[in-house]
Amino acid sequence: MSGKRILMAKTGLDGHWRGPTIVARALRDAGFEVIMIGMARPEEVVQASIDEDVDLVGLNIGGHVDVAVRAVNALNDERPDLPVFCGGVVPPHAKRRLEALGVEVYPPGSQLPDIVGAARRLTGLD
Amino acid sequence: MAGHDAVAALVAEAVGGSRSALARLISTAERGGDDAAALEAALLPCHGESYSVGITGAPGAGKSTLASALTTELQAGGERVALLAVDPSSPLTRGAILGDRVRLQPHLGNPDVFIRSMASRGHLGGLAMATCTARRVLEACGWPLVLIETVGVGQAELDVAGATDTVLVVLNPGWGDEMQANKAGLMEIADIFVINKADRAGLEATRRDLEAAIAANAPARRPAIVETVATEGTGLDALRAAIAAHREQATASGELAQRRRARAVTELRDLARARLELALDGQLAGPAGEALAGAVTRRELDIDSAARRLVADLLNSDSQRGASRGDPEQDTP
Amino acid sequence: MNDRAMNDKNSAGKTWTSASGIPLKPFYREDDVPAQHRERLAAGPGEPPFHRGAYPTGYRTKPWRIFQLSGFGKPEDENARIKFLLEQGETGFIMEHDRNTGDHCYNVDHPEVVARREDVGLTGAVMQSVRDIDICMKDLPIETSYAHAGGAVVQHAPFALAGYWTVAKRRGVALDRLPGTGQSDYFLTYLGCVTKQQVPTDVGLRFNADIMEFCDRHLPRWVPVSIAGYNAADTGLNAYQELGALFANAVEYLDEIQRRGTMPIERAARGCGGVSFRMSMDLFEEASKLRAARLMWQQLLAERYAITDAKVANLRIHCVTAGSRMTYQQPLNNIVRGTVMALAGVLGGVQSLGVSGYDEALSIPSEHAHQMSVRIQQILQEETNVTAVTDPLGGSWYVEALTAELVEKAWGFFEEIQAQGGFLASLDSGWLHEKAAENQHREFMAQETGEQVIVGVTAHTDDASPYEVDGFMGVDDAFDVALERLEEGRRTRHEAGAADALRQLERVCRSSDNIMPAMMDALEAEVTLGEIGDVWRDVFGDWATPIQT
Repeated sequence: MSGKRILMAKTGLDGHWRGPTIVARALRDAGFEVIMIGMARPEEVVQASIDEDVDLVGLNIGGHVDVAVRAVNALNDERPDLPVFCGGVVPPHAKRRLEALGVEVYPPGSQLPDIVGAARRLTGLD
Repeated sequence: MAGHDAVAALVAEAVGGSRSALARLISTAERGGDDAAALEAALLPCHGESYSVGITGAPGAGKSTLASALTTELQAGGERVALLAVDPSSPLTRGAILGDRVRLQPHLGNPDVFIRSMASRGHLGGLAMATCTARRVLEACGWPLVLIETVGVGQAELDVAGATDTVLVVLNPGWGDEMQANKAGLMEIADIFVINKADRAGLEATRRDLEAAIAANAPARRPAIVETVATEGTGLDALRAAIAAHREQATASGELAQRRRARAVTELRDLARARLELALDGQLAGPAGEALAGAVTRRELDIDSAARRLVADLLNSDSQRGASRGDPEQDTP
Repeated sequence: MNDRAMNDKNSAGKTWTSASGIPLKPFYREDDVPAQHRERLAAGPGEPPFHRGAYPTGYRTKPWRIFQLSGFGKPEDENARIKFLLEQGETGFIMEHDRNTGDHCYNVDHPEVVARREDVGLTGAVMQSVRDIDICMKDLPIETSYAHAGGAVVQHAPFALAGYWTVAKRRGVALDRLPGTGQSDYFLTYLGCVTKQQVPTDVGLRFNADIMEFCDRHLPRWVPVSIAGYNAADTGLNAYQELGALFANAVEYLDEIQRRGTMPIERAARGCGGVSFRMSMDLFEEASKLRAARLMWQQLLAERYAITDAKVANLRIHCVTAGSRMTYQQPLNNIVRGTVMALAGVLGGVQSLGVSGYDEALSIPSEHAHQMSVRIQQILQEETNVTAVTDPLGGSWYVEALTAELVEKAWGFFEEIQAQGGFLASLDSGWLHEKAAENQHREFMAQETGEQVIVGVTAHTDDASPYEVDGFMGVDDAFDVALERLEEGRRTRHEAGAADALRQLERVCRSSDNIMPAMMDALEAEVTLGEIGDVWRDVFGDWATPIQT
């Protein structure tokens, strides 16, 4: 029993649910409690991460990297100790920017065991 | 484990208005163990009074949408609303996808709404106990209204929703098999029946069916029936009024006080039982338990006498595990 | 050797199946084509049941239309890209609206959009009023070129269509001469990319039937709705599920028109007989799918609606190559994938085709990726001789057997949807989403076990490419300019006229009248997208999304 909680949110307004759903199911099967809040603005992600007292935030990003960066910055400001990882359509230049903020990035083609492994590591289970 | 002082400090912070402290205290309640016990002790001197509304019904009945729409309706009256969405864990690995948060989207980021998804971590006393503690935390922190929504109508869910001041049972035209199967239990706990998705065929028949079933209750225990279409926001004003009427009537008649007292007895019994079991497990695993088990196996002692001696020893021993509550992994030596 | 014994396994024990799981034999013989499908083998292209093609002369008289999704930035940026594509040899054009604003019917000053202002203009040009649409259509050959006017999403289509038509009217183009389509597709936002807010499915049905009626009266050359199996497939439905779901959707439209009794069912059938499918990597299954689709449409119309007119019963097909099969890793490989998928569509007899950009997994298409998508099709049309013979796979025992199998399985799935209460009910309940999710999950597992190989991702991952492919990020000023224009539009329009038109639209929405005339008036009066969206939200509420998005 991990008891670790992960908040999953989408920063964009496009609603691709397929990727996040598959990731959420894999994390659940690995023993995590996953809370999906869907499309959310930075301040909404922050408040939900506080209220739900999560150990990790997973952002599904798409579109312009600036939108994701804003959400990451808001989280880093409010909860600097809370790790964040990202997936979605993330071109190389966007990946580099997010990684510079301390965010792990899992672009399309990433394998589920790697994502689950990252969740375990980032929540201190491994 | 944070320890007694740390928990007390966190309570002070939460009561002082820190939302993250409040959230962490609910995690403490979920985890159980010594900290949860310390939390209860720390909450004791706190003031605050909140009213709780339970929402239960079969999956797919539209409870989350209803909870969301009800929150909007209550918010319109200026109330701050806390919502606990309570899910069972998946039994295999204890992972879970919690809460139907997609329907709670309208409240994202609203400072006057606190939404928390809660899961059972498998500790003794279960989710019902953690939910009660969470409700007390919210009460201490000045949230006047706590909605508690459960995912289904199994016994665990009925226990959770039933431990509130007003219980809503949500169903749809046509009932559904799951509701029919649990009809008796639902009749017992419901204060208000909500026929959601009331724009669907079969409304009248369901209403008649409900009324007939309700007529078997004593006049004082006949739940109101409210029709809603939560997706469109219809009927929510009537639901709000029905909740207010039940609250008023239950308060005036003394039923509320009686219920809260009964709830305290239930909680006390559950917690005491959990403690007894823990202590018993400890005793069994210790030298006295070993000796008794050996004696029974060798047929030197009959099993009933052995059990009596075990209980007698337990009651006589001044249990050093006194403060523990909940988590066997933490509490078992 | 007995057929069953040699069926679908080789010595290594690998199970050979099509992408949708149909067991495959090592080779096919004449008697593998089921008896009830033998009769149709004698039919030619352009003859019922049309599996061999919609038209008798195939690509000799009319090559498929090169039809690329395009759009980004400000309306003038998109206008320039469309002109670029037309210069490159594209033979129709797609006018994509920004999806952040369009799909949700928000103006750019809506808080949800402001929070994502850098995303604005990434997926299409921001068009909030008829003025913006006018800029986007500047100097485009709208009388002669088949256009996709945007409005792919059900709740957005009335705006996009009324806008396009209003600009055409202002330019003096008679609506009854105007060729094009909108799409108004359920799969896109009720199954695939579920939006934050949209009208309930039954309201969408009303919108689409209203559009069909309006086109029937005023725009006979316009394809009012185009069901996009593409979006169903890219969400996870397999080949025969895509077929079954698509026709289950068509039945909703036709039954609604029948209930209304406001137009002849033949014309309604013609109106929704232009559809799109996804082309993916299983070459023969995908080509067979298009043959199966035409056959099924002919069967459906004959059996359910007693329509036998050959001019109505020939399904016209647009295909787009699968965006989800474009890989992030080694993106140049995607040029090859695009070519193979395009070939599948051509062998299946498409009327028009779009090839996903090779950089799709990284961003929206760059100009170069767009050009490559056109070039792939030009190479197929001009260098390979595939246009010489219609239905080149016809008579292949394998392809005929696969076509037959897909037809049977697709009708099975169609019936499953009917048992759920029909297509819209299967969306409302989340049943269809669950089907898609099951397939997605299975595919992920197959990739992890190595059963399914994706070159450059799950195998052959060594990359020696000297080219850095990076995402295209559109233009920087789309949001700012859109905001300025929104404010300017509000300042300079005839305010009382706009308010009247908006009130009238709301009245019509609350009645059972056709919304399109009021939409035309609203666009003419320069009512904005977000104001119309507010009417939707106010009158119709929100769809109760059945899934965690």
